[in-house]
Amino acid sequence: MQPPLLEINKLSIGFDTPRGPIQPVREVSLSIFPGQTLAVVGESGCGKSVTALSILRLIPQPPGRFLGGQVFLEGRDLLKLPEKQMRQVRGHQIAMIFQEPMTSLNPVYTIGEQIVEAVTLHQHVTRTQAYKIAEKALHDVGIADPRRRLFEYPHQMSGGMRQRVMIAMALSCQPKLLIADEPTTALDVTIQAQILELLQRLQRETGMAIILITHDLGVVAENADVVAVMYASRVVEFAKVEDLFDHPQHPYTQGLLRSVPRLGDTATRLQTIAGTVPNPAQFPAGCKFHPRCPSMQGDMTCATIEPDLREIRPGHWVACHHAQGYSQSPITTPHLDYTHTVPMDLITNRIEPTPAKERTP
Amino acid sequence: MSSIASEPILDRAADVPPPPRSFIAQVMGQAFIRWSARIGAIWIALVAFCAAFAPFIANSEPFILKSRGTLSFPLFRGLHPVDIVLPVATIVGTIVLARRKMQFFASLCLVLWACALTAAASCWPSTADYLKQMQSLFGQSAAIVLLVCFWTGLAAVIVLAPIFISRRSTLITGLCLLPLLIWLMIYPVRPPKTVVYEKYRDLARAGQVDYALYAILPYSPSDRLRDMGDSAFLPPSATHPMGTEYAGADVLSRMIYACRIALAIGLISTGIARLIGVLVGGLMGYFAGTLDILGMRLIEIFEAIPTLFLLITFVAFYGRNLYAMMVIIGITGWTSTARFIRAEFLKLRKQDFVQAAIAAGLPLRSVLFRHMLPNGVTPVLVTTSFGIAAAILYESTLSFLGLGLIDEPSWGQMLNQARGVGASFVWWIAIYPGMAIFLTVLAYNLIGEALRDAIDPHLTKA
Ligand SMILES: Nc1ncnc2c1ncn2[C@@H]1O[C@H](COP(=O)(O)OP(=O)(O)OP(=O)(O)O)[C@@H](O)[C@H]1O
Ligand SMILES: [Mg+2]
Repeated sequence: MQPPLLEINKLSIGFDTPRGPIQPVREVSLSIFPGQTLAVVGESGCGKSVTALSILRLIPQPPGRFLGGQVFLEGRDLLKLPEKQMRQVRGHQIAMIFQEPMTSLNPVYTIGEQIVEAVTLHQHVTRTQAYKIAEKALHDVGIADPRRRLFEYPHQMSGGMRQRVMIAMALSCQPKLLIADEPTTALDVTIQAQILELLQRLQRETGMAIILITHDLGVVAENADVVAVMYASRVVEFAKVEDLFDHPQHPYTQGLLRSVPRLGDTATRLQTIAGTVPNPAQFPAGCKFHPRCPSMQGDMTCATIEPDLREIRPGHWVACHHAQGYSQSPITTPHLDYTHTVPMDLITNRIEPTPAKERTP
Repeated sequence: MSSIASEPILDRAADVPPPPRSFIAQVMGQAFIRWSARIGAIWIALVAFCAAFAPFIANSEPFILKSRGTLSFPLFRGLHPVDIVLPVATIVGTIVLARRKMQFFASLCLVLWACALTAAASCWPSTADYLKQMQSLFGQSAAIVLLVCFWTGLAAVIVLAPIFISRRSTLITGLCLLPLLIWLMIYPVRPPKTVVYEKYRDLARAGQVDYALYAILPYSPSDRLRDMGDSAFLPPSATHPMGTEYAGADVLSRMIYACRIALAIGLISTGIARLIGVLVGGLMGYFAGTLDILGMRLIEIFEAIPTLFLLITFVAFYGRNLYAMMVIIGITGWTSTARFIRAEFLKLRKQDFVQAAIAAGLPLRSVLFRHMLPNGVTPVLVTTSFGIAAAILYESTLSFLGLGLIDEPSWGQMLNQARGVGASFVWWIAIYPGMAIFLTVLAYNLIGEALRDAIDPHLTKA
């Protein structure tokens, strides 16, 4: 079995805010294999972006602080790398694209100059060659007339085009892992679909892994191989995409899935999860979800002891005292069929989050 | 696939990409649409022109002199390397700017090399003086060792650099620095100082001049008109458009030469200030936290230093020195820039494109100065123009108090000399330099204000 490309092990991050210290990421463990797409979902403020930024050590320090844990990229702990080697990782091995294509490009330089700077930094090529690479990268992401576009400024392009440019820039150095933090949230629906399709195609062509951060469960179903659900700074459920959609184990995941409209659903109103996300400055004791949890039913363990992430089935991890496990045979109800595009073999072969203890750095 | 990339219909001729306009170029364009900024710029350009071409505008020595059958070029013989470098730099710089095709560093390199080469060429006739002066500066053996080492080293570097330096940026930096070095070595060369200006007028009076071509204003600033008897404090007339001063030198000629100090003090001292300010402010804003707090305290310390009194104290202890004045004004005047840049960088470092630049693995140098600085530098343009005005006022004040330079004319020093015999008031020595100071300061302020207004909408838009 192939080793994981990236493995996050009990990562905790703190922020010193004026209202006291908070922990936007607590003991988060994730792993992703080459060629896989890992989706990270969760409500706003649950720590998805902070987790993504911490992989590249882009957390602003201060106010941010690494409180513990490791981030292994092919066995190397990124959190221990000296800054100089970290720069080799950034852009070259792990690339990142951001939510806002309108502000992710430097307004002062042409598209070409920006791509070329990154290319010449990581590859030993002349500027002329770098311009060729940049032109090809723009062509690969489906930008018409790439040669002319190279000499244009970001403000001369639409949002969708800029996101394509960002992807071109990220991929021009052939990274092994692409972190996409809500890459389509700022775009309109048709362009969203195009960008995601583009990412899938590029993934097939290059074999890179993708961490896709999103709010959109439809996007998760269509694009992801594995899913991590985050709630209140923690990963509460981690599973193959079809396991998660067919057998959601954590009450929060179940609530999330119920709050999405489904094909063939006859209910007239969408369900919501009662209550609000807890303030990170004052999380409740015990399970962070228990004040909103429908299946708690007055259980005092939930209110006092925080459940650990445990493996209830091979490859299916849940942090809930009440999670029981389920029978192997998938109960495919027609209206739960989100996963028609995900190649099954890819998922079953590769999912394997290693428990934290097994790893020695 | 690429249905969103809907192309505007282009005619065939527009296939060539239009020359891109940078953000700073846009701001400049917008600022100089204003007539006030344009008038300011025209005045500054006039001052700059006078500064660069001063020896060719006002000079007692004729360009060409034919006397008793022999042809000579006295004006060119008496030129200092600076007098040649300034016009060359101005002309080459203007051409490079006007063509707009070249990269910034390439054009800078070209201008610097043009200067260095003309300076070297202009020194060639006085090589003997050069050796003599180096000897008197450094002592004989040291001078020889220094000279041999420097010039052979320089030749070696020029020949070998392209072979060994593979990185383009290093090569260009080197190419820019070399002419500065050459310039430094040439600087001690001075033309013969014992010019007796009246000898040409004597010749003319004796009827021995067959032919002579003088500059527009045939008086040098140090031309005391000793031969003309009672020539002190002459009011403005056709021969002396702005009159003469206490020793009989032409006021207009001195005004023209004084442009040099006015420009130099403004540009160099604010240059120093901006450099320190950008560096300190940039690091403060980017790293925030402890460094920011320390930097803020440093700024407060420097803001508490009264520049004028420091200048006066310095002059009192160490004597008059223009360069020291520039440095002092520079190292006390960087705080506003640092504050601006810090604020900009604090804002910028959270922006996505900066995050993206860091995420792409770019080194700190590039993130700070290539990606953040151009987006945050525009407020500095404003403080720069106000800073130049302030520096000119400092120099004028100091000179007016009699603590400025003696051997070179400056506007403030002329104001000081407006006190005539027995403390009477000589209006023409007061009015003209006063107006010049006023107009120059006003011009910089007009430009600064236009720039400030021009960047405002951009800041909110970007
Ligand atoms: N620079 C910072 N300083 C202080 N607190 C921060 C900082 N960045 C993030 N946080 C806090 O960390 C928590 C997690 O933020 P994060 O951006 O990871 O949320 P998210 O899951 O990405 O939300 P969204 O879906 O809205 O993007 C939030 O409570 C936020 O207030
Ligand atoms: Mg986010």
